[in-house]
Order: sequence, then C-alpha cells, then structure tokens
Amino acid sequence: MAKNIVAGAFCCIGTFFFILGTTGLLRMPDVFTRLHPSTKCDTLGACSVIIGMAVYGGWSWELPKLIVIACFLLLSSATCGHAIGRSALRRDIPYWRKDTGEVKGGDGS
Amino acid sequence: MDDFLTVIALIISVNAVICLYRAAVGPTTQDRVLGVNIVGTKTLVVVILVTYILAENFFLDVAFVYALLLFVVTVALSRYLEAEGWKEAA
Repeated sequence: MAKNIVAGAFCCIGTFFFILGTTGLLRMPDVFTRLHPSTKCDTLGACSVIIGMAVYGGWSWELPKLIVIACFLLLSSATCGHAIGRSALRRDIPYWRKDTGEVKGGDGS
Repeated sequence: MDDFLTVIALIISVNAVICLYRAAVGPTTQDRVLGVNIVGTKTLVVVILVTYILAENFFLDVAFVYALLLFVVTVALSRYLEAEGWKEAA
C-alpha cells in the first residue's frame, strides 16, 4: 500500500512537470527560451515517472532496464537541447529581446 | 492502481497532442525539431506506463529502443540543420 502511494506521488510530480513543459513550449517567445522548459520536461518529468514505475514494480528484472532508461534520458535530453540550441545559434535564428519585447535578428541589431 | 496509471497515461497523451501544435506551426525548423523531441519523450513515458498497466514485460525493450532512436534523430537533424548553405524554407 505504501508502495502504491509513493509510486503515485512520483507519477503526479512527473505529470505536473509535463504540463509545465507543454505550457512553456507553447508560451515562450523564441527557440532559446523554449529549450529551457522542454529540457526540464525531459529530465524532471520523465525521470520522475520512471522512478515511480521502478518503485511500483519492485525488485524484478525490469528494475535495471528502467534505471538504464532513466540514466540515458538524463544524458540524451541535455545533449539534444545543446545540439538544437547550437544549430539555432549557428543559423542566426532571431532571438527575443526583453527591453523591446520583440523577436529581433541574430546579429544583435 | 491500474486506473490511476491509465489516467496518468491519458493526461500525458493529451499533453503530447498539444505539443504537436509547436511542431506544426513553429516559426523556425528548430522549433519543429524541439516539438518532435518533446512528443517523443512523452510517447516513451506512455510506453513505460503501458508496460505496467498491461503487465507485459517486453514493452520495456520497445521503450529502450525508442529512447535510442529519439536521441539519434534529434542529434542528426540538428547537425543537418547546422550545415553551411542550408536555407530556411518559407
């Protein structure tokens, strides 16, 4: 019973961060700010749900697979975010300026 | 507990469908890649939840291969978009 409560709590935390990531992905003004909530969604949300499922499953042969998937997500989400951000930077994607509130050119103008 | 996990999986699926909006209308191609990456992560989590809802162990292998494919797709697309001479499609 306590196992179910802990697993449910981890799943609720993960779902909360997924909703947060979706909101950020829809509401943020440009690519570089959208990268921030999306990587949070990957690491915190997905890893929380995976930890919850590991607690729910208990000691079994699925546990090492879940741990490997969680560690791989922690590495790959950061790498994917960095790759997308670098490609946006190299291609001079316009970015958002706080003082003007508009999406301007990539050369700082 | 199965009903609770089903509700969680449904909420995450609805989130993934909402994220497809950014993949469809994103102003730049990097936005689209980002949206597809997020949709893939949510699908991965839904597959892991389905493993425990249906009590079928082999879905975890599907989830693992899905995580590997998602990483390769995102990094390859980013490196492709980074190349010189590539132009943004209007």
